[in-house]
Amino acid sequence: MKKLSLAIALIFTLALAGCVGAGDESGGRLRVGIVFDIGGKDDKSFNAAAWEGVRLAAQDFPIHLRDVEPGDPTSIEPCMRAFAERGYDLIIGVGFAQAPIMDQVARDYPRLKFAIIDGVIDSPNVASLIFEEHEGAFLVGMIAGNLTKTGKIGFVGGMDIPLIHKFKTGYEEGAKYANPNVQVFANYVGVTDAAWNNPGKGKELATAQIDRGADILFQAAGNSGLGVFDAAEETNKLAIGVDSNQNWVKPGFILTSMIKRVDVSVYNTVRDLIDGRFQGGIHLFGLENDGVGYALDQYNEKLIPKSVLDEVERAKREIIAGRIKVTDAMAEK
Amino acid sequence: MDITDILNLSLLASMVRLSTPLVLAALGGMYSERGGVINIALEGIMLAGAFTAAAVTARTANPWIGLVSAAIAGLLVAAIHAVATIQFKADQVVVGTAINILFLGVPALASGAMFGSTGSTPQLPREQTLPDWNIPGIDSIPILSQLFSGHKPIVYLAILMVPASWYVLYRTRFGLRLRAVGENPEAADTAGVSVARMRYAGVLMSGVLAGIGGAYLSIGQNSLFTRNMTAGRGFIALAALIFGKWHPVGASLACLLFGLAEAISIRMQGVVSIPVQFIQLIPYVLTMVVLAGFIGRATPPKAIGVPYVKEK
Repeated sequence: MKKLSLAIALIFTLALAGCVGAGDESGGRLRVGIVFDIGGKDDKSFNAAAWEGVRLAAQDFPIHLRDVEPGDPTSIEPCMRAFAERGYDLIIGVGFAQAPIMDQVARDYPRLKFAIIDGVIDSPNVASLIFEEHEGAFLVGMIAGNLTKTGKIGFVGGMDIPLIHKFKTGYEEGAKYANPNVQVFANYVGVTDAAWNNPGKGKELATAQIDRGADILFQAAGNSGLGVFDAAEETNKLAIGVDSNQNWVKPGFILTSMIKRVDVSVYNTVRDLIDGRFQGGIHLFGLENDGVGYALDQYNEKLIPKSVLDEVERAKREIIAGRIKVTDAMAEK
Repeated sequence: MDITDILNLSLLASMVRLSTPLVLAALGGMYSERGGVINIALEGIMLAGAFTAAAVTARTANPWIGLVSAAIAGLLVAAIHAVATIQFKADQVVVGTAINILFLGVPALASGAMFGSTGSTPQLPREQTLPDWNIPGIDSIPILSQLFSGHKPIVYLAILMVPASWYVLYRTRFGLRLRAVGENPEAADTAGVSVARMRYAGVLMSGVLAGIGGAYLSIGQNSLFTRNMTAGRGFIALAALIFGKWHPVGASLACLLFGLAEAISIRMQGVVSIPVQFIQLIPYVLTMVVLAGFIGRATPPKAIGVPYVKEK
């Protein structure tokens, strides 16, 4: 029995050390902690963008940065609390799944500052970083609608949740705006957070859509989306990336990427903290402040004709001016 | 709704792709359990194989080296299981669970150290994943071509392993002895068969096969390893093994059924107006209904789960 309790004590020590590295080496700098989503910071997409943002901020500002990647949903809360207990000045939560957890933690630590990406928390010490994904998706949908040869395009979402529906409806509306006869197939990888990490299923869904005639596929599925890229490459079709600029991942097979500037939102939040201008409440990132958009670089400039780009830019101005209304799937309930 | 959107020839190819890792893991589990060692570590072994294949291929740019490394990685992880359960007579379920939990974390750690990226290994260019093999003659015949042509080499290995495993288990001395130590180790021991050696062989065999099954996920079907990418396939293989009554053909058919159900559910999404949550239940429900309803009682090897202690 004694041995067992010793083992348990040892494991607890290890687990705590695993959450936040021991020792305080901040040297009086402001301390920033970031808790990633289940996808992990190297998903080449959403989490990667958040990581890029804090990393840049750590280069530009004197902050002490620590990050954790919870391996499963139940370890999000202890990791977040570990930062709070150690009095981190700013704690950033990546992803909607952390909103209810942060809501609680932020109430327990009203003197610390928090930021949540993709979630809304009504608390004065939390900045809610919200994106108008439907507007960005509308633009890539227009590109797909213009360039499809079969008149059929696909959408592969990760988890079947309102946030991902927002991408889907925007994409669909954009495609139909450009090409009213276009047919859109939409599939989701799953209904649990394992859906972000199942590239095999992503690839099978994409293959099934391609079998039905789709020739351009938009993915909003984290790591599972990398399987969609594989399917596009193998069948010589085009895919559209998401969140980060993913054009480089499979050059020539990625038509464009719907960019969600999570990096900018995170960077700005850290900058505001440094400048003493941190504000709670909703911070909206849309087309007008380049919070969302589409990626154009050396990898895909040959894939999209100038005439299509002009049309997309025109629609972008119309959306900003409020003359085109894109449905926000999360707002309608 | 057009029924051909769901039931078409490419469905068969999809079924084969989705079943392959299950068949390999289930056959692996069969060798271990027929010898009397419960192997719920299949999931962890597959993860080890999937990670090793992707990591080694990323470093060497050669998927064949990756494939062999995955088999070796599976073997080594199975060796941990074997030493703990056969040598030290630890509880087989506890050891298996420990391995599964361990290999949720180890690949992320190793990936972080090797590639500076804990979430996934680098995505391999297509020419560095295993090639598709077309079988001349078969590739122009409908149905047969979807089933038996244009797949990754590991698929053919899985197909060949089914009759091969049947032969080994029921027609060779090794198979007879393996089954004997799983049914009645005392009798086998009396007859001069080394129980420990047979059980080691069974468990290590399961490691090799499950490791290759994992490699199929990362360098065959996909082009990278992502955290926990097996998503429970090891456990499904285990269930298929039990439903298949620990018989190579039965277990493989159970895997095929599951693969077919999953392929159908993938094609039903967005075609049939049923909420996606229900569609994604289909493979599990269908498998349970068919197998529980039609297969009947499965009797495990008698000595399964019991460490063998030689009478003094």
